[in-house]
Amino acid sequence: MISASIILFCCIVALLELDTTYAFQLTFSRGIVTGPLLSLLTGDLMAGLQVGIFTELLFADINPLGGVLPPSAVICCGISLLLHFFGVPLSIAFFFGVLAAIAFSYAERWTRKTRSNHLAVWEKLIRRNSAFATRLICLSLLNAFLTTLLLFIVLAALCTSTALWLLPHLTERALIAFSFAFIAVPWIGMTSLIASFRLKTK
Amino acid sequence: MNFKTHFQLFLRSFFLQTGWNFVKYQNIGLTFVMIPFLKECYKNKSKELPSALTRYLETFNTHPVMASFCFGALARQEKNIVANSAKEKAIEKGEWEAIKRTLSITTASIGDRLFWGALKPLTLLLALFIWLFLDVSFLETTPSLPDHVAYIVSGIVAAFVTFNAVALCVRWIGISLGFNCEPSTCFGLIRFNWNQTIYYAKRIGVFLAIGMLLFGAYHFLKDFDSFTDIQFIARLILISAFVLCSLIARKLRIPNMYLYLAAVLIFNIIILF
Repeated sequence: MISASIILFCCIVALLELDTTYAFQLTFSRGIVTGPLLSLLTGDLMAGLQVGIFTELLFADINPLGGVLPPSAVICCGISLLLHFFGVPLSIAFFFGVLAAIAFSYAERWTRKTRSNHLAVWEKLIRRNSAFATRLICLSLLNAFLTTLLLFIVLAALCTSTALWLLPHLTERALIAFSFAFIAVPWIGMTSLIASFRLKTK
Repeated sequence: MNFKTHFQLFLRSFFLQTGWNFVKYQNIGLTFVMIPFLKECYKNKSKELPSALTRYLETFNTHPVMASFCFGALARQEKNIVANSAKEKAIEKGEWEAIKRTLSITTASIGDRLFWGALKPLTLLLALFIWLFLDVSFLETTPSLPDHVAYIVSGIVAAFVTFNAVALCVRWIGISLGFNCEPSTCFGLIRFNWNQTIYYAKRIGVFLAIGMLLFGAYHFLKDFDSFTDIQFIARLILISAFVLCSLIARKLRIPNMYLYLAAVLIFNIIILF
């Protein structure tokens, strides 16, 4: 994958991430859709599907209720597949993907908080001219896209350099340990689904 | 409400959460969605539009799909505000506030339980069943590509289409029901028995999730000829341990992701010795 393709990959990740909250919510951003979609660029469809399924199962117990920001499935799939493309085994790439997704949710919370600081000004401008709402929506989308793109590039650079530095130092035994934890994911996820369907009220 | 306005509200409803903020949540999005309708309402009273916009810019937070009921109901009440005399306007505005507050809470509760709590995991299970039936071996550490790429696509399409068919239907119908139905019918909300739907969806979900776990275990173990095979026993013990750990974690309210990170750490420590 040449650098142009990596940039395209990052842009698609940022676009897909918009679907999580900011626009559409057509579930393009759920793991089982994002994983295979991104893997079309990295070239390993089965890895994309597996990472997608595992991501969705792993985060199945956290829902975006109220102000809760679940870890991003798009970021997790994006980082995992990017690292896998650079030769990192999928079990280790997924570990970095999960860490990046958690880090992204904290960063996202912070950016949303800072965005709230301008709310009074925005409201004033909308009251003065209702057409400003459309402009504000476009600007917010652009802002969310660029912020995600920047955060993803930073996270990808950090994760890739760390994983590639770590990889030669990892023993065969450590690789087995990562593989064991990796195959635990679907069982952990499927079991948590049973509990998540439990009725709290009739 | 004419088709054009209905369609505009429907399209704009996809951007309800674009201006999401921690202070007033979806207030910017709600205003953006309702602007075409408000412009139509206040065509001859443009001086009153900023005051109407102020009301829409107050706190609003609900489920993005179920919000369509709120759009319809608020549009209906807005018509009453515009049609009434100045004296009655204050009462109508008070009612408008009450509708916004109560309906947003109700729709949020229904939407969260139906879409995030039932439909999303159900469509995930649907896709997983399709893949396992088609022998797509995603449970192995190094899965091989199935005979046809269509096998992979079929699961994705099934989950995507099922979720969006329901979500888009609710988005579209919710606007017209909210607008046309009486407040006594909770703006069309009680036309559907949401609680029963959620109840049955969750009951089906429990059975499917247990079935998935068993079917997955069968797929993970089916290639062994003998029950005494050491690899078979090792895999069985591993599955049982993971399931047990997950159940304990749920009891202790530990999210899956932390359980996974703990598993990475524990396996590394075990293997070190």
